[in-house]
Amino acid sequence: MLQAVLAVPRAALSFPRNGVEKAAIVIAILIVLLAVLGVWLAPFDPLKINFRGKLEPPSFTHLLGTDGSGRDVLSRLLYGAQLTLASTFLVLAVIVAVGCAIGIFSAFIGGVVDNLLMRLADIWLGFPPLILAFGFAAALGASLQAAIWALFFSWWPTYARLTRMVTVDILSQKFMASADALGVPVHRKILNYVIPNAFDVLIVQATLDVSAVMLAISGLSFIGVGAQIPTPEWGAMIADGRSYVANGWWIVLAPGLAIFLTALAFNVIGDMLRRELDPTSSRRQ
Amino acid sequence: MNYVAQRMAFSILSLLVLLFITFMLSHVMAGDPAAVAAGPSAGMAKIELLRREMGLDKPVLIQFAIYCGHVLSGDFGMSWFTRQPIAEDLMRELPPSLELVFVAMLINLAISMPLGLLTARYAGSRFDDIVRLLVIAGAGLPVFWIAILLQQIVAGDWHLLPMTGRLSFANRDYAGSTGFYLFDSLASGNFAVFGDALAHLVLPAFSLSLLFTAVGVRITRTAMIGEFRKDYVVLARAKGASEGRIMLRHVFSNGATPALTVFGMQFGWMLGTTVLVEEIFGRPGVGRYAVKAVSQSDIHAVVAVVFVVGLVFLLANLVVDLLLYLINPRRRTGN
Repeated sequence: MLQAVLAVPRAALSFPRNGVEKAAIVIAILIVLLAVLGVWLAPFDPLKINFRGKLEPPSFTHLLGTDGSGRDVLSRLLYGAQLTLASTFLVLAVIVAVGCAIGIFSAFIGGVVDNLLMRLADIWLGFPPLILAFGFAAALGASLQAAIWALFFSWWPTYARLTRMVTVDILSQKFMASADALGVPVHRKILNYVIPNAFDVLIVQATLDVSAVMLAISGLSFIGVGAQIPTPEWGAMIADGRSYVANGWWIVLAPGLAIFLTALAFNVIGDMLRRELDPTSSRRQ
Repeated sequence: MNYVAQRMAFSILSLLVLLFITFMLSHVMAGDPAAVAAGPSAGMAKIELLRREMGLDKPVLIQFAIYCGHVLSGDFGMSWFTRQPIAEDLMRELPPSLELVFVAMLINLAISMPLGLLTARYAGSRFDDIVRLLVIAGAGLPVFWIAILLQQIVAGDWHLLPMTGRLSFANRDYAGSTGFYLFDSLASGNFAVFGDALAHLVLPAFSLSLLFTAVGVRITRTAMIGEFRKDYVVLARAKGASEGRIMLRHVFSNGATPALTVFGMQFGWMLGTTVLVEEIFGRPGVGRYAVKAVSQSDIHAVVAVVFVVGLVFLLANLVVDLLLYLINPRRRTGN
């Protein structure tokens, strides 16, 4: 486990092959820092309405201008970073944990249960993900919490399938037969063999999913089943700024660029991790 | 026949899972289904009456069976915000959405297939690197954001394309027989309406296709890259076949199958993603209908859209898989 944890900073130093990948790592670190510190850095109250100062273009007082109700866009963006990223990482942490548990359980138990669970995962995984999450969020009552729950429900099969695949692979190895003969208990098999071996595959998939989960959360908020206006979630900010786009382009541009930059940075890092960690990757020389 | 039977069984199983999901959504998660169906302003007496009518005093399994019976016979109940049967609403909203998805899919295929093939051929080159970066960037674009920006810049500022709707004001009385305006106007030789409908489709279809194109290029590249290393390509080169012929006649026709399966799945995913696009461009369709239904808290209408999108997804996959099976030449040789 310790090795796996140490692998992350080591990777940050030795994996990048070009400027784009280095830039992506720097941007990702900056964005996470802003999400953590943004609440203190924000110059204004993100919810403070000021109708006299509405739709002000970017200036030195309001670096990213003000929105249709006179709220400071930069402050909203910084608060939104925390909200959007915290929701994204919460969703990822839960679906990885739950997916892993189901996958490992399925692989260890085998037989009919394994077969049924994996068929269910296959079918579930196929259904259009956005509309499925949309249905769950709408049924749960349209809020950021509902959107987060909706993503738990619609995303677990990816990780269940992945972990099950890795676990079955490990269980068929010879060293597991000797572990059996020695009478190693199941929980130690999982902690000492399965999880360390599944770590690389999971970290690659989770990094690539950061952008997908974030796009889903902001998309759900945009269509009204996630965070509600005036919550400074990035997708809800775009929905709020939509009606002002003709005379206040900055209101829509800023949160969209924030989503795009974050997604891009994590996608580049995920792509790099796949190249470096996935032994079947064709581009690893 | 064995494959066909297996494939059908999988589709039926998938349909059951879909029914189970939509049942959970409308009967378990949304709170008391009778209260939900009665609407926000209904009294206790009406709710009690509905509870009995809907069979909600019966065990859950029986309820599920009743629910399946209703849905499979096309009965989704009434929508209280349009005050019409939901099934009728959907029949009206589905053609414009399918039309949008068809055009978006054409754009997707027209970009993904050639780019995927070329990046596989020139894998590792500078061209491959640039396309890879574009693909990664495309996968991070919020669909709704790019739709708003394109609408504002191309339609609003440059006046190159219409901002909203399916047809211009001049054609407001046009009514096709099938609801697919592109098809209707072409079949009746009405090219003015055809051009108008197409102009209204360009921006929504392009915004919708971007995310899927990003995945499509990657899938096609992966499917093709292995083919270029196979012996028959070496043989084709040795006998002096042109590079273009090798790419199109040999590699493409062999490598296309797995890619086409994914494009079949994308069809249903695209239909689900119309919720992000149609509202922005003021186009009628199931996506906009679902978004409106949410704002009116008409959960049954929302769940009906989830079911129909899931059903289209299953059917599209089934059709693509069976077609690929039918045209597969290996099937003719016995095994």
